[in-house]
Amino acid sequence: METPRYLTRNFGNPGALAHEGYVKSGGYQALKKALGMKPADIIEEVKKGNLRGRGGAGFAAGVKWGFLPKDDGGPRYLAVNADEGEPGTFKDRALLEQDPHQLIEGIAITCFANGVHAAYVYVRGEFHKGRRTLEEALRQAYQAGVLGKKVMGSDFSLDVHLHPGAGAYICGEETALLESLEGKKGFPRLKPPFPAVKGLFGRPTIINNVETLSCVPHLISMGAEAWAALGCEKNGGTKLYCLSGQVRKPGLYELPHSTTLRQLVFEHGGGPRPGRSIKAVIPGGSSSPVLTEKEMDVRMDFDSLGKAGSMLGSAATMAIDDSTSMVRLLQNVSRFYAHESCGQCTPCREGTHWMHKIIDRIAEGRGQADDLDRLLDICDNMAGKTICVLADAAVFPVQSFLRKFRAEFEEYIRKGRKMSLVGWTEEMPEAPTAAGIH
Amino acid sequence: MSYVSPEMRAKFDEITGRYPRRQAAVIPLLHLVQEAHGSLPAEAQREVAEYLGIPAVKVQEVVSFYSMFTEKPRGRHHLMVCRTLSCALGGCQEVSATVERVLGIRHGQVTADGMFSVEEVECLAACDMGPVMQVGDTLHGHLDAGKTEALIEELKKR
Repeated sequence: METPRYLTRNFGNPGALAHEGYVKSGGYQALKKALGMKPADIIEEVKKGNLRGRGGAGFAAGVKWGFLPKDDGGPRYLAVNADEGEPGTFKDRALLEQDPHQLIEGIAITCFANGVHAAYVYVRGEFHKGRRTLEEALRQAYQAGVLGKKVMGSDFSLDVHLHPGAGAYICGEETALLESLEGKKGFPRLKPPFPAVKGLFGRPTIINNVETLSCVPHLISMGAEAWAALGCEKNGGTKLYCLSGQVRKPGLYELPHSTTLRQLVFEHGGGPRPGRSIKAVIPGGSSSPVLTEKEMDVRMDFDSLGKAGSMLGSAATMAIDDSTSMVRLLQNVSRFYAHESCGQCTPCREGTHWMHKIIDRIAEGRGQADDLDRLLDICDNMAGKTICVLADAAVFPVQSFLRKFRAEFEEYIRKGRKMSLVGWTEEMPEAPTAAGIH
Repeated sequence: MSYVSPEMRAKFDEITGRYPRRQAAVIPLLHLVQEAHGSLPAEAQREVAEYLGIPAVKVQEVVSFYSMFTEKPRGRHHLMVCRTLSCALGGCQEVSATVERVLGIRHGQVTADGMFSVEEVECLAACDMGPVMQVGDTLHGHLDAGKTEALIEELKKR
């Protein structure tokens, strides 16, 4: 099944990195069209196109824009979230490196629709190439009159600034991102007030993900109905799926929202490596609850995966085959959250570390009989009890791994064997037969 | 001013002008100083604070919070080995162990000649080519023990 490509149509075409090449590929026509529309009509169009936020939450972009208060004459901002860091996600890096003008066009349309005259693109610190590529594209966009005092000859003015991060997963959380943009450590803010009312520098602010904004030109140029029809109900358009892990063909796939998880992994990803079988899949980033092989017939849209007890998140799909120990995997995941908890809220700061320590000792063969119940108890004391959702993100994998693969954890605890540290894919050792081996 | 040269100061002015509040420029400015000097010792942080007109502790807070900033010099080649999920599923433990074995240092250390430093980092957003390692600005993917060793040998010549 060959899907028409929109977001990735210029991938592998380095010519489109330059303004001229992008224009040749049909670029900046959507902005031109938008500049001739009423701002309110653009917002309505995006609502009708069912464009859902692609940063992870899946919130309807047009509705989010609608939260901005009436213009009071003061500044309002767009903060572009290019701080991609959810484990398994690599779509925004690709969009920055391979089609920066598409993003700039999406930014310009969004700003025009919302009466915004200054946008900040918060690019993850480690993305050197993406930053350089976008920097050059911005320079050319200014030169060509796409940005600046008169956007494409209209009366609309827009400045787009690039702002580098410096290595902190938490800054992908929208209010932590705002703190970081203001030059502080990335501690998430209490909501309300919501950023739409009081955001960057205390002013009304929209925060959108790179992929969300990159969709906007296509939605505007083909119209809401056509865009909505590319997806399924309430999930308009095509979606970028990041497939990685133990499959034959990992990669970035632009597919309709109606694609199932099984199709993604088996048809597009080529299925498991030779001699292996798929055991589990993490569908949308390391915080999304794990699904077993039997649960893979779910559609990869925000609502269907939610109903299946998981989430689409950032569409970072990681396939796990039968050679992998779920205990070792959770050890890795829990270390990530312990490392990335910003430390502001006690339940998260303490909880992520205790969870990691306990999972660590289970994986090292020192687990105690009541450790699994203890872990679930910690989960109950973290989720929903903190300022941002990092605590919830840390809890979901623990709960789902224990619910679906509890026997593996119990086996580790019962056998009490220290596993080899290297050799992730090692088989569970046989029970000791000779005296002297534990 | 020993860390902030007049040329850098001009760049500082330009960056600071992008924001309605000066403090907002702290991260981009610290990147510039670290790129030029290799690290951000207390004196460098104090100079940035003075330039921005904010207390030195506000800068120190930022330097200690973000993992890319360092108060101590790193190696000429700073090896960032991804250790997160997708890379782990592909065997990044082998890459990590190879780096430590070949260079004779542990993660977080610098070689005696100052050529290399190594750090295990979280997801570098290049999961389709895992296991990955970032050296300076460049990503290296699909690594195993042999390719890792060859990469280090290649870097030694630069």
